[in-house]
Amino acid sequence: MTNPRRSRRRLALAMVMVFAVVGIFAVRLVDIQLVRADQLTADSLGKRAVKTPTYAARGAIVDTNGVVLADSVNRFDLTVSPANIALIDAAGFLRVAKDGTKSRVTVMQAATEIANLTKQDPATIYSSLTKNSTSNYALVSKSVDLATKRAIEKLKIPGTIFQLHPRRTYPNGAVAGNLTGYMSTDGPGGGLELGDNTSCLRSTSGSTTYEQGADGVQIPGSEVIKKASKPGGTLKLSIDSDLQWFALQAIAEQGTAIGAQSGTAIVLRIKDFHLMAVADWPPVDPNNVDGSDLANYGSHAFTAQYEPGSVFKAMSAAMLIDTGIGSPAMQAVVPSHWVTPEGATVNDAAPHPEQQLTLTGVLQNSSNVGISKLGSQVPEKTRLDYMKKFGLGQATAVGFPGEATGLINKLPWDNQTHYNVLYGQGVSATALQVAQIFATLGNGGMRLPTTLVESCTKADGTVTAVPSTTGTRVVSESTAKTVVNMLESVVQAGELSKAVKIPGYRVAGKSGTAEVASNGRYTGDRVVSFAGIAPAEDPQYVVVVTYTKPATMKSSAAAAPTFKKIMSQVLTKYRVPPSTSPSTYPATTW
Amino acid sequence: MSNTLAIDLPDFLPAENDSHPRHIEIVSTRSQKRARPRVIYALVAVAGLFVILMGQLLLSIWLSDGAYQISGLQQTQRDLSRDQQALGESLNVLQSPQNLAGQASALGMVMNTGSQGFLSLSGGVTRAPTAATADTAVAADAASYTPNALITPDISALGAAAAAATAAAAVGTGAPAGSTGAGSVASTPGTPAQTVLPSPITH
Repeated sequence: MTNPRRSRRRLALAMVMVFAVVGIFAVRLVDIQLVRADQLTADSLGKRAVKTPTYAARGAIVDTNGVVLADSVNRFDLTVSPANIALIDAAGFLRVAKDGTKSRVTVMQAATEIANLTKQDPATIYSSLTKNSTSNYALVSKSVDLATKRAIEKLKIPGTIFQLHPRRTYPNGAVAGNLTGYMSTDGPGGGLELGDNTSCLRSTSGSTTYEQGADGVQIPGSEVIKKASKPGGTLKLSIDSDLQWFALQAIAEQGTAIGAQSGTAIVLRIKDFHLMAVADWPPVDPNNVDGSDLANYGSHAFTAQYEPGSVFKAMSAAMLIDTGIGSPAMQAVVPSHWVTPEGATVNDAAPHPEQQLTLTGVLQNSSNVGISKLGSQVPEKTRLDYMKKFGLGQATAVGFPGEATGLINKLPWDNQTHYNVLYGQGVSATALQVAQIFATLGNGGMRLPTTLVESCTKADGTVTAVPSTTGTRVVSESTAKTVVNMLESVVQAGELSKAVKIPGYRVAGKSGTAEVASNGRYTGDRVVSFAGIAPAEDPQYVVVVTYTKPATMKSSAAAAPTFKKIMSQVLTKYRVPPSTSPSTYPATTW
Repeated sequence: MSNTLAIDLPDFLPAENDSHPRHIEIVSTRSQKRARPRVIYALVAVAGLFVILMGQLLLSIWLSDGAYQISGLQQTQRDLSRDQQALGESLNVLQSPQNLAGQASALGMVMNTGSQGFLSLSGGVTRAPTAATADTAVAADAASYTPNALITPDISALGAAAAAATAAAAVGTGAPAGSTGAGSVASTPGTPAQTVLPSPITH
């Protein structure tokens, strides 16, 4: 009945077919599992997984007490899908309120509701909701705050989506706007936002991937951090924001009164050369970049170099005493007009009969002739070396963006410059450099690195950018003490005595009224300043006030009252006990 | 007797001839019996498998339930941290010197810098306090000097309300009311120095 040969053939065929099928499966398996494995895994993950960017905030800038000067805050951009809006019919979409009442809201009504919250024009919003009705994206409102965002969310308008859009904020406004600078859409500008040398503030955004279920809920354990986000560090300044505000108010008030073009005030703590306040007027409010003149951004105290004038006489006196050539009682016969042996001319600010002044008296009367006669006895080379040691001709240790170095002419100086530099003409410096000179004298002749940034604390807690504290010996301790003592004569009995004397405290200081050169000639414009140290017997703070081009009061008498006000505030704020001994100083005449 | 009709056969065939019962039976030995797999083990294994499967099911239900809870809590946490940040933002603006000075000035306070008095331990006045003058203050409310675009009318109102509440509370606790005028100085300069430290009498 059965043919054994046929049956064997059939069996063989079946076997071949089975092997063929198994073979095909095997090839397919190898293909899927080995050859295309990575591609397929990625594809499948792409269908289930969601990649979200993780945002990390740019670091904050805080003052020495931790008061926030610059910080990042959450703002949200309201975007909408006009394609979804287009689906709403004329009767409007259905809104179910919390209590269950239902209402119909038309697109125009929704636009008005949004407009009321964002304080925009309803027509503009309506247009962005309905224009490009095939598009899935339209920006409706930029940078709305959290309260507004939540209020808009409650409106339950279909197709609205918020996107996190962090913004920079400066809670103290213009108080430290000159120092912090600003962040615009183009990036950082102005002060430390731009000149953050150590990249302390910068944050790095990261991304996280996770798998989600059909309802969008994350599947547990599926989170994979592709790239960790890193928030920026906190930049701590040595500035005291309250004092900075006071200084700014003070120079703004006086600057307005005398019609000055600009003004600066610096408060420096002598023991560690920390800047407690660096105020620049006119102020800039980084919250309102468009509302401030961009030219005023950055700090003029760092960036503007000017011929400082008579405040330099303090440094010239220090050179005379430190070299041993002069002493506080060194004598000079001082006419108000003097033609030097080389043929240069030196004039005092006001005509006066011939006086017999000591070096102390020359400082007290701020005599150009006197300091020229005495100071020129120090060789030029020695004077230049001293000036460099005092920190002139080089940027301060702060390294502020755009900081000026000041200019000192190369040796040999011409006949006029030979004398001019002694009273701060023919040489330029920044207000910060002037503050450094007085702080060096107050610190017993040691110049420490001037500090604006106290530290940078990274997000992981490591502290970097701690400033150096290695000082430079400029003049001997006794020289510094002697000069500070001589400068007390200016405050005690000088021309501006009434305006700068602070009852109960011994104050040393020097005024400066410098002529502003333009096109190679000195003009009627002035830079007026007053630099001082208190308490004189135990120097703790230096205050320097300058006004550029005052219109009505073109002498240092304009800067003196502001100096007094700011120094009084410093002594009050930092609880400096009053001096226990009365002010004495070397003889001024002979 | 026979017919052609189909008949319903009984369900079972009639028993085979029972008249010759088998007398020989194969009896498994004890060791054979012992080696035979027992049903109870199979049941235990199957039940165990079932329990494991159920356990896994429950675990995964519980886990995914946790995922919803985690998701919900993460949402809450994000909302709360945003709240905190928004409140901190307002606080920082309220703390700004422009706002504080403006509010203080609105309450009638005057600035009197550099006027502090110092007493020596022996009871003398080493530096006499002085009354406020125009020279001892800077303009407190001239916002144009130190502008701050963040101080909006909303923020100012918030600050003013808080200041008024504090002032009201201070009056309630017996602080001198209406002492907003300038120039009242408590101590008199130049009082004779005492030689002993003032100290409370205790027993």
